[in-house]
Amino acid sequence: MHIPDGLMHPAVAAAGAVIAIGGIALALKRINGKISEDKIPTMALLSGGLFIAQMLNFPVGGGTTGHLIGAALACAIAGPMAAMIIMTTILVIQCLLFGDGGITALGLNVLNMAVIGTVVAWSGSVFSQKSKIGILIGAWLSVFAAAGACAAELAISNAINPSYGITAKISVPAMLGYHAIIGIGEAAITVAVVSYLQKVSPKIFINGKPKEAKA
Amino acid sequence: MSATVEAWKCAKICAAMFVLFAMGLGLYWTFSAEYGDGLEVTMEHAGVSEGESAYSAPLGYGENYLASFAMGAVGFGAVAALAFLVMEFLKRRK
Repeated sequence: MHIPDGLMHPAVAAAGAVIAIGGIALALKRINGKISEDKIPTMALLSGGLFIAQMLNFPVGGGTTGHLIGAALACAIAGPMAAMIIMTTILVIQCLLFGDGGITALGLNVLNMAVIGTVVAWSGSVFSQKSKIGILIGAWLSVFAAAGACAAELAISNAINPSYGITAKISVPAMLGYHAIIGIGEAAITVAVVSYLQKVSPKIFINGKPKEAKA
Repeated sequence: MSATVEAWKCAKICAAMFVLFAMGLGLYWTFSAEYGDGLEVTMEHAGVSEGESAYSAPLGYGENYLASFAMGAVGFGAVAALAFLVMEFLKRRK
């Protein structure tokens, strides 16, 4: 879901960057001075782990693949504010070192995957009191919402200038359709990893261990 | 003593991640490598091609299994290092 250079209208890219900077600034402000030293290696390993997990696209049918975004997993382990920072570091390295996602679209990619993905994942788990069902729903919703935002950005770009973006008639159903399926993979992987970590290393949950799922 | 235990624990976690990555990468190169992701396929459907990149990145994800594994290791290190530095900056001050 990494937006390349030249796809979005510059005004949309700029607006996205401004909102993303606002979201990241808020996250930095909220967690500044609140991270305990012994949790830093966990967060660094989580960031690196999510980077390599994002390299592994899995087939979702129809010649399409998807990969873990990881916002929900980062959220479950480190909490929403730290997750936003973790996701942003991944996206910055992907863009600057590997050319994955355009530099002019970095703001939009951060907005979609780090800010919207994290906030939506967190909302999902908060509404179901951090249970595994909540994490499952939050993970699926994080992908769906990030894809919805990307589809809207494509549609707005196209509406401003038809040489940018993709018309809403194509972008909205295609992006939401593919990512509704990709989101199932995200939800399954997130819950599997959270369940495993609960068993083998419950102390890893910086933001409090998720509750067991109720039947 | 505690630092040694922590370092050993981190090394074990890294090793486990890379074993999983090595296995996942095998599946990726077998089943997924030639297909695009959701956005790329949407662009293809709409007849939109990727424009010229405004920035030329020094690395790529690799064209084969071994190169991808190496790039994964490089990216893992870069992301972990950047996250570590950011979190060090944000840590609780005594």
